[in-house]
Amino acid sequence: MYEELLEDIAQQNRLREVNTVTKLIAGLGAVILCLLSASFVAPLFIALVLTATLLVLARIDPATYGKAFFGPLLFGGLGVGAIVLLAGGEGTFWSWQLLPWFSLSITQASINQGFFIFSRVIGGTSALLFIAFTTPMTDLFLVMRRARMPDEVLDLAMIIYRSIFLIMDQLVQVYQAQLMRLGYSSFRESIRSFATLAGSVFIASWEAGEDLTRAMEARCYEGKFAVLGEGRPLSLPSAAAVVSFLAVSAVVVKATSHIRLF
Amino acid sequence: MHIMEGFLPPEWAVFWWVLALPCLGFGIFQLRKILAADREALPLLGVTGGFIFILSSLKLPSVTGSCSHPTGTGLSSVCFGPWVTSVICAIVLLFQSLFLAHGGLSVLGANIISMGVVGPLAGWTIYRALRDTRVNMFFTVFLACAIADLCTYVVTSLELALAYPAEVGGVASSFVLFLGIFAITQVPLAIVEGVVLALVFKYIVQLKPEILVRLKVFPEARIRAAAGDA
Repeated sequence: MYEELLEDIAQQNRLREVNTVTKLIAGLGAVILCLLSASFVAPLFIALVLTATLLVLARIDPATYGKAFFGPLLFGGLGVGAIVLLAGGEGTFWSWQLLPWFSLSITQASINQGFFIFSRVIGGTSALLFIAFTTPMTDLFLVMRRARMPDEVLDLAMIIYRSIFLIMDQLVQVYQAQLMRLGYSSFRESIRSFATLAGSVFIASWEAGEDLTRAMEARCYEGKFAVLGEGRPLSLPSAAAVVSFLAVSAVVVKATSHIRLF
Repeated sequence: MHIMEGFLPPEWAVFWWVLALPCLGFGIFQLRKILAADREALPLLGVTGGFIFILSSLKLPSVTGSCSHPTGTGLSSVCFGPWVTSVICAIVLLFQSLFLAHGGLSVLGANIISMGVVGPLAGWTIYRALRDTRVNMFFTVFLACAIADLCTYVVTSLELALAYPAEVGGVASSFVLFLGIFAITQVPLAIVEGVVLALVFKYIVQLKPEILVRLKVFPEARIRAAAGDA
């Protein structure tokens, strides 16, 4: 069901050993450049480069990548559809005056805008997936600690992270047991099964939390987890690659700002 | 329901971030206060966060069959209060954007406001208003959770409408369209979420009422009475 988290893949990708900050700068830089772009060209360019990097250098399975990429895009498509209908502007193809204050139309300008936003979503999603597939959360915690994130928040984040996998295991087990006993055969039945599933998982995770408290007390926890992690050394080739990627993307953003779809 | 990375123009992404940061700051302040009083609260808050993560990445049996998910914030807001819920929610949203590519980083501020601030606050308000009345405990939890989910979706629609006002009718008419599109999945979903979380609450009352007594969610006598009935 939900076993396959991107996190598992991140633990094994070929870019794992690259310095975490370098990878973060590449991903965050791509997010910012996509937002600053005024045309659809630059986000698509960024998406292309990052996708190629993930598939070729990080050796991510294309089918897994495709699934992770297109799922979220569906929701984006729905929103973009609404914007195309609302934005209005020059060159009307179709319009429908529903109420005096409410009309839907499809125009040249609105299609341009919709396509532009959709390309930004594609670029942004690829940047997120780049971070997701190449950087395990455990590496990020180390960066967060160095970036002076408040201790309470970081500890909370680490416990949440840990408990996700615990809860997921239990959830899958209970869910499969329910499924085998026809727990999801009708709508009413599914609601009931889902509620017992969530309830039992809540109680189980609560107990896991209490166990964790005892375990931490026994190990002299005093309000701050030690974060262990190998410092991944900054390597010149990867830093140079990220800098040139961001520089070229910035030039593309600047040079293509006037290009429209049609 | 999260806004996707890249969907909001930069000025709105920054605007929601600026709005979200003070809420998070206040949440962290509250979190520190809770932890200073009761150190054991940290693991419990942590597993609640894990629970919200799992719940909001699950697909609920929804009437339209679309991919909609509950937010789970109502229950946490009733148990721990709205501001701590915002901090938990912010962490969960960050994980979701980095584990599942749900939501995003530039739009994290907007998603924190809708799912982590307004939703829990609305749910909590309902819960506080009804807690000490004679209204049925489970109905109170149902309302709080359903309203928290509904408000999350209304605010998300508002965030989208503000960023992309319609040519005719401006923000108002694009708000109506976004509300309309998402209503198809979100209204039944909010009701289902309310029912499910109320049942979860009932299940906890039956099996482990001491959790709720300890958190002082409802007066002890009422929880004991409900557990005894069951």
